[in-house]
Amino acid sequence: MLRFLLNRLGQSVVLLLIVTVITFFLINLAPGGPASTMRMEASPEERQAMIEKLGLDQPIYVRYIDWITNAVQGDLGISFTSSEPVIQRIIERLPYTIELTVFTIIISVIIGILLGVLSAIKRGKAQDHMINFMSVIGLSVPAFWLGLMLILLFSITLGWLPSSGVGSRGADFDLWGWVSHLILPVLILTTTVLPNIVRFTRSSMLEVISQNYIRTVRAKGAKESIVLYVHALRNALIPVVTIIGVLIPRLLSGAVITEAIFGWTGIGTLIIEAARGRDYPLVMGVTVMITIVVVVCNLFVDLVYSRIDPRVKNV
Amino acid sequence: MKKSKWKFFSTLLLSIVLLAACSYGGDSATSSGEKENGNSTGGGPKKGGKVSIPIVADPTFNPWHPNAYAESNVINRVLFSGLTQPGKDLVPAPDLAEKWEASEDGLEWTFFLRNDVLWHDGEKFTAEDVAYTFNEIVLNKELGANNASYFQKLKEVQVVDDYTVKFLMESPVAALPAYLSFNTEILPKHIFEGNDPWELTSFNKKNPVGTGSFKLKSYTSGQNVVLERNDDFYGETALLDEVEYKVLADANTHVAQILSGELSIFALDDLAALERIEKAKGVTVEGRETTRFFWLIVNQTMEKYQDVRVRQAILHAIDRQNIIDTVLKGYGTIADAGIAPALKEYYTNDVTRYDYDPERAKELLAEAGWKDTDGDGIVDKDGEPFKIDFEIGIQGDLEAVSQMVQQYLVKVGLDVKLNAMEWNAMVQDVVVNRDYEMSLNWWRYPADPDLSAYMHSNSIKGMNIPAYQNEELDKLLDAGAQASDVGERKAIYMDAQKLMAEELPYMFLWYPQEAQVRVDKLKGVPDLAFGDALHYIHEWYIEE
Amino acid sequence: MEASTQSNVSSGVAVQSNKRKNSLLHRLRQNKVAYFSLWFLIVLHAVVFLGPFVWSMNPEELQDAGALASWSLQHPFGTDDLGRDVFARMLHGGRVTLLVGLAAMLFSLLIGTFVGACAGFFGKVVESVFMRITEAMMAIPNFFFVLVALTVLGTSPIMVIVVIALSSWMEIARVVYGETLRWKEYEFVEAANASGAKSIRILTKYIIPQIIPSIIVSGTLTIAAAILTESAISYLGLGIQPPTPTWGNMLQNSQQYIWTAPVLGILPGAAITIAVLAYNFLGDGLRDALDPRFVKK
Repeated sequence: MLRFLLNRLGQSVVLLLIVTVITFFLINLAPGGPASTMRMEASPEERQAMIEKLGLDQPIYVRYIDWITNAVQGDLGISFTSSEPVIQRIIERLPYTIELTVFTIIISVIIGILLGVLSAIKRGKAQDHMINFMSVIGLSVPAFWLGLMLILLFSITLGWLPSSGVGSRGADFDLWGWVSHLILPVLILTTTVLPNIVRFTRSSMLEVISQNYIRTVRAKGAKESIVLYVHALRNALIPVVTIIGVLIPRLLSGAVITEAIFGWTGIGTLIIEAARGRDYPLVMGVTVMITIVVVVCNLFVDLVYSRIDPRVKNV
Repeated sequence: MKKSKWKFFSTLLLSIVLLAACSYGGDSATSSGEKENGNSTGGGPKKGGKVSIPIVADPTFNPWHPNAYAESNVINRVLFSGLTQPGKDLVPAPDLAEKWEASEDGLEWTFFLRNDVLWHDGEKFTAEDVAYTFNEIVLNKELGANNASYFQKLKEVQVVDDYTVKFLMESPVAALPAYLSFNTEILPKHIFEGNDPWELTSFNKKNPVGTGSFKLKSYTSGQNVVLERNDDFYGETALLDEVEYKVLADANTHVAQILSGELSIFALDDLAALERIEKAKGVTVEGRETTRFFWLIVNQTMEKYQDVRVRQAILHAIDRQNIIDTVLKGYGTIADAGIAPALKEYYTNDVTRYDYDPERAKELLAEAGWKDTDGDGIVDKDGEPFKIDFEIGIQGDLEAVSQMVQQYLVKVGLDVKLNAMEWNAMVQDVVVNRDYEMSLNWWRYPADPDLSAYMHSNSIKGMNIPAYQNEELDKLLDAGAQASDVGERKAIYMDAQKLMAEELPYMFLWYPQEAQVRVDKLKGVPDLAFGDALHYIHEWYIEE
Repeated sequence: MEASTQSNVSSGVAVQSNKRKNSLLHRLRQNKVAYFSLWFLIVLHAVVFLGPFVWSMNPEELQDAGALASWSLQHPFGTDDLGRDVFARMLHGGRVTLLVGLAAMLFSLLIGTFVGACAGFFGKVVESVFMRITEAMMAIPNFFFVLVALTVLGTSPIMVIVVIALSSWMEIARVVYGETLRWKEYEFVEAANASGAKSIRILTKYIIPQIIPSIIVSGTLTIAAAILTESAISYLGLGIQPPTPTWGNMLQNSQQYIWTAPVLGILPGAAITIAVLAYNFLGDGLRDALDPRFVKK
C-alpha cells in the first residue's frame, strides 16, 4: 500500500514538473512579453524599463530555474500586473470556483446517478432512449451558446435572474442574491458534466445487473426493487467514484467558459486575465495550482479505489 | 416510485422558478441610497444616493502605474486630484493649483497651490508632494511611468515654498497645463517616500490616500470598489454618498445592468446594443465630443507609401460615412486632420476633404503608376501587384471597422489581407518592432491641439508610428507648442490642419463621439465626455 | 511458404474486416437516429462544401442592401452587422468549421493511434512512458492549456487545429491501446510474429486494420468535440479570426447583437449544435453497433 502510494506520488511530482516546464517555455515564446501590454503610447525606453524591472532580460532557462527554486519553497512570485503575491491573487479567486464546482458536483452527481440508474433499469425502453437522447444533446450544445440563450430568456426577456456577476458577499449579503447569481452558471456547468455521469452510471449498473450474484439474489425471490436498489446499486456505485477523477479536469475546463459567460470571478477568469496581460507568474501560479488540485483528486480516487479493489495496487 | 420522484423534481424546479419570479425585481442600485439631508421640495440638487459605474477589470490605485488602464483612470480621477483639470469648455481649469503663469521664454512655469487641501489620512498637501510625484516618479526613467512621455521636456520641479512650485522645461511646452489635467494626479510623498512606487501594494491595491472628493470605502478584487464622500474635500463637498465601481468584464452585462437599474452611467464602447438602450425607458444616450481620432496608417518607411497620391487614393476609396453609420451608429464626424471638434477653438474642416469616390481613388493610383495592366482586378506597377498586409489588434470595434475598410480597398484594386491579432501581438509588431505595412487604430490625447507627439519627425521612434517626415509640418508643430497666445496658436494650427489634410501623415478616418449612457435619475452631470465629467462628480446627484 | 502464409493471413484479414464493416453498417441501420445522422451529415457536408459554388456570393463583400437587412430573395438570411450576406457566410463558415473539425480529428487520430498502438504492441518501457503521458494529459484540465497556448502563440487556422488536436488525442490513444492489446493475442498475429515479420509491418498490416472500426468511432466523436472546442475558443476571441468566417466566430460576433438582432446568433449556434449532435449520435450509434453487449435483440 505504501509503495503504491509513494509510486503514485512520485509520478505526480514528475507530472507537475513537466507541466511547469511546458507552460513556462510556452508563455515565454509569446511575441511581445509583458512590455507589449503597456499602452500604445509607451515609449521604447518605458518598455525597456519594464523588461529590466521584471528581469525579462535574463535568459529563459535562468528565469525558469529561479522560478522553480522559489516555487519549491512555496513562493510563486509576484504578479506582474498587480504587484501582489500570486498566491494571494489565487486565494482571492479560488473560493468562487470552488463554490461553483461544488454545487455543480452535488447537483450533477445526484441527478446523474438517478437518471443513470433509471436508464439502466428501463434499458431499451422509452425512458432509456429519452435520457440517452437528452445526454447527447447536453454533450452537443455549445455551453456559451446555451448560456447566451438562457441569459436572453431569464435575464433579458423575463428579468428573473441576473445576467452576470457573483452577487454581493460583504455586509449586504442576501441569500436570494447569492442563489440567483448561482443558478445559471451552475446550470450551464452541470450540462457539461451531467451526461458523463449518467452514461457512466448506466453502464456500470448494467454490468452489475448482468452479474451472477444478482441473478442469485433474484432467483431467491427477493423483491425486484430490493434487488436493484440494495444489491445492484450499491455495487454499481463503486466504480462511479472513479468518475470524479475524470470529472474534475473536465469541470475545471468547463469553469473557464462558464465563468467567462457569467463574469464569475474565479480561477477561470483569472487565467484569461493572466494570459491576456502576459502576467507570467500568475499564469504559472494558476497552472501549478490547477495541476495540484487535479493530481490530489486523482490520488484520492486511486486510494479509495485501491481499497475497494485490491487488484489496482499492483498497477 | 419513479413518478413521485419526477413530481418531486418538477415541484422543486417550479418553486425555484416562482421564487425567482417573486424576488428578483429590478432592485436598482441608484435608489438604494439614503436621503438624509435632502430638502424634499423636489428639484434642485439633493444630498445622498449612490451611483454605480462599470469597470472591466481590477483597478490599480496609482495613476502613474504602468498597469493603470482605463478602469483605473476612472477611479483615480475621483480619488486623487491633479494640478489642473479640464474645464467645462475643456480649457485647463484650476484644481490643486489655483493659478499658474509661464515665464517670457516659456521655460519656467510657476504653479500656485491651494493651501487648504488635506490628504484622506488627514495630512496636509504641500508643494513637496508635487515635487515628489514628478521628480521621483514621472522623471525616473527606470520606472517607466504612464504618460511620462508628456513630460519629456520637463527638467525638474522645484519647490519654491510650501504652496508654490516651479516646472523647469528644456523647451517651451504651451500644452503643459493641459497635460497636467490628463491622468496626472498627485501622489502623497509622506506615504511613498522610500518605497518603490510600483511595489507599494498597500497603497496601490488596498488603501489609496488621495485628495479627491471621494475616498475609498472598500475594495473587493474582481467585484467592486466603493468610494464614500470625503467631507474634508477642499472644493464643494460632493452630493452623492457613495460611488460604486463594479468589475464587469463583459460589455453585454453593462447594457443589461443599466437597463435593470443596477448601473448609473458609462460610455458605451460597443454600439451594437444602442438601439435597445434608446428604446428603454429611464435611460438616455447622448453623444459627447472627445479628443480622439481614428486613423489608418501605412508604413512610410516603405517607398510605395511615401507617394502622397497613394495615401490620398486610399482615403478616397473608403466610404467613411457608411462605416460611421454602420459600426458607430452615427456617433462620429468624418475627420480631416487630427484636431477634434471637441477643441472648439482650434478645430476646422475648411481643408482638403476626401469624399468617397472610388473612381478618383483609381485615378490617383494610376497617376502614382499603379494600374491594373493584367486584368486580374489588382493594380500593379512594374509587374508587382499592390499587396498590403493589414494588421490590427482585436479590441472594441477595430475589427468591424477594419473589415469594412479592407472591402473598400479591395474594390479599388488593392490586394489587402486583413490579419486581426491579439492586442499584445499587434503592439509588438506595429508599435515596438515597426514591422507592419498597414494598421488601423486611434489616439486619445489631452485637450490641447499639440499633436507633435504623433506626427513630428522627432517622434518617429515614439508615437509617430507611420514614420511621417515633413519639415514644414515640424516647423508649424514646434511653433504651436511654443506659442503661449491662444490667437497665435489658433492661426498656427489652422495652417497645420490644412497641411495635415493635404499630406495625410495619417489617413484620418473620423472623430468618434462617445455614446454616453445614463439613467435619467442621475442629474448634474456636465455635458462632457464621461471621463471629463468625472472631474465634476461632486456635482452629480440623484433625483427620484 | 512464408509468402503464401502471409497472403493467406492478409486475405483472411481482408475478408474479416469486410464482414465487420458490412455488419457494422447493417447494425447501424437498425439505429434510426444514428442512421439518420449519417445521412444528415452527408447532406450537410455536401451543402457546405458544394454550396458556395452555387451560391457564389462573396462572404466578405459588403452588400448594397446595407447592414442588418432582413431576409429577401437576394439575401435569404439577410445581412450581418457590416452588411455581408449571412447565407454566404454560413456556407463558408461551415466549410471552415467542419474542416477544422476534420483536420483536428485526423491529426489527433494520428497521434492517438501512434501512441496507443506503440504502447500496446511494444509493451515494457514504451508502454509505461506512453500511457503515463496519456494519463497525465487526461488528468490536466487541458482547456487551460488551449487558452494559454492560443493567447500567446496566436490564432492562425493551423495553430487552432494543432492545439485542438494536442488536447484531444488521449481518448483515442486509450481505445487503440486496449484494442491493440486484445488483437496482439490473436493467432494470425502471433503466426505473423512467428514467421519473423517486422514489428512495424505486423502493426500496420495486421493489427491496425483490425482496430479501424474503433478508430472510426473515436474519430467521429472527436470531430464533435473538436467543433465544440473551436466554438468555445472563438467565444473567448481566440479562434480563427475574421474576416475568415467560421460558425464559432460568427456566433462570437453576434453576441453584441443579442439585444438587437438575435437571429445572427441563433443561426450559427444552431448550426454548430446540429452538426455536433449528428456527429455524436453517429459516433454513439457506431459504438453500440460495434459493442456486442449492446446489440439489440
